[in-house]
Amino acid sequence: MRNLWLLLQRNAFTLAFIALMAVSLSVLLRNDGAARSSWFHQTGSVSYVIDQQRHGWSNYLRLAEQNAELAEENADLRSRLLSMDLAVEWQEDTVRHWTVRSGMLIKGPDGKPRSSSLATPGRDGGIETGMGVLSGGAAFGTVEEIGEAHCRILTLMHTGTSWSCRIGRLGPVASLGWDGVDMGLLQLRDVPRHVQAQRGDTVFSSGYDLRFPPDVIMGTVFDVERQSGADFMSVTVVPAADFTASRHLEFLVHQADSERTALSSTDLRP
Amino acid sequence: MIVLRLLLLVFLQAFLLRDVSPLGEWTRPEWTLWALLLIPPQASSFLKLGLGFAMGLALDIALGSYGQHMVAGTVLGGLLPAIHRLFAPREGYEVSDHPILRDMGSSWLVGLTFTAALAYHLTLMLVSNWYWHLIPGALLPSLSSAAFTTLCCLVLHLMVYAPDRRKSST
Repeated sequence: MRNLWLLLQRNAFTLAFIALMAVSLSVLLRNDGAARSSWFHQTGSVSYVIDQQRHGWSNYLRLAEQNAELAEENADLRSRLLSMDLAVEWQEDTVRHWTVRSGMLIKGPDGKPRSSSLATPGRDGGIETGMGVLSGGAAFGTVEEIGEAHCRILTLMHTGTSWSCRIGRLGPVASLGWDGVDMGLLQLRDVPRHVQAQRGDTVFSSGYDLRFPPDVIMGTVFDVERQSGADFMSVTVVPAADFTASRHLEFLVHQADSERTALSSTDLRP
Repeated sequence: MIVLRLLLLVFLQAFLLRDVSPLGEWTRPEWTLWALLLIPPQASSFLKLGLGFAMGLALDIALGSYGQHMVAGTVLGGLLPAIHRLFAPREGYEVSDHPILRDMGSSWLVGLTFTAALAYHLTLMLVSNWYWHLIPGALLPSLSSAAFTTLCCLVLHLMVYAPDRRKSST
């Protein structure tokens, strides 16, 4: 404190001069428009130069950080690109005995948790219970019940069912379902915590539930949430099929469907 | 006495000698400077600074200007101690020295007056023009005005402290 006082005493004249200059300049700038505009012009130019210089320095000092950000962004973009490459529309697979029959949706899901959808044809068009249904090459639902000319479809937007899926073509199998809250979001349950998943990854059918062949697109990952202490993580998925605007459907027919059904329903006896 | 002289010169410059400028902007005298230059060199630096500021303030009020004289007066008040040191005799100022022709000589008086006038006019020119591109054009008029102010101060000086009056008084 004493040193500060001595310093002030030593420079009292300079401080007084600065104070009086500040008073004079403030009076001048307050009253003289030309002085004010020139002052702002000059100080603006100087502060612009200083800011540019500071920005340049800070950019230089943040090079490592920026490199890390760019690497992360690059990895994210590569991942998205890979997902886009993988996300191809399912095509008829005669090698594995899958063919399609076309149909038309006449009543789609209305957002209620257990609403059914109706489509044509029915039995007369060769449709059978348990067939998978696609819309635009993406999973839409499964045939629940059939009439002569119509059939009832259990869509992905139904809380009473679940679908066997995996994240990517080689990920572990998990169960996809709808919680009946948001029509645009499905929930992938029982995904092990160690699975690497991030937003934009494609979710495919596993083929294990016999309704869809493997690698039919179900949707894309929207959000991944890992809760501390839990063995599984919750993954939110945006369905690939547009349930609000779908019109044309494809019914998946497996040529040996009756044999598969019979085998899968037979109890194994040693 | 110094303050009274200052006020008198402010009054004279503002109301009587305002238009005494034979060559327009080339010869714009600042009569009030003479009052400031009559402060004894041994006086306190704070007194010089304060009177410089006060002179500018009084001129701004009297002339209706917007702080230009206040800035120029403060600059001159701040520089005056340094100018006095610059022109100080080798052995320094005597306690009885007054800033007049009889005590300090003509070269000291002319040099000090011109330097102070130059500082004042240059500052005034800067704060009147502000923009850098206007300054080169205003530089020569301020130099000539500083010279004219020096001349006017010397005339005032000779009128007030005339050599013959000095002789009669002694």
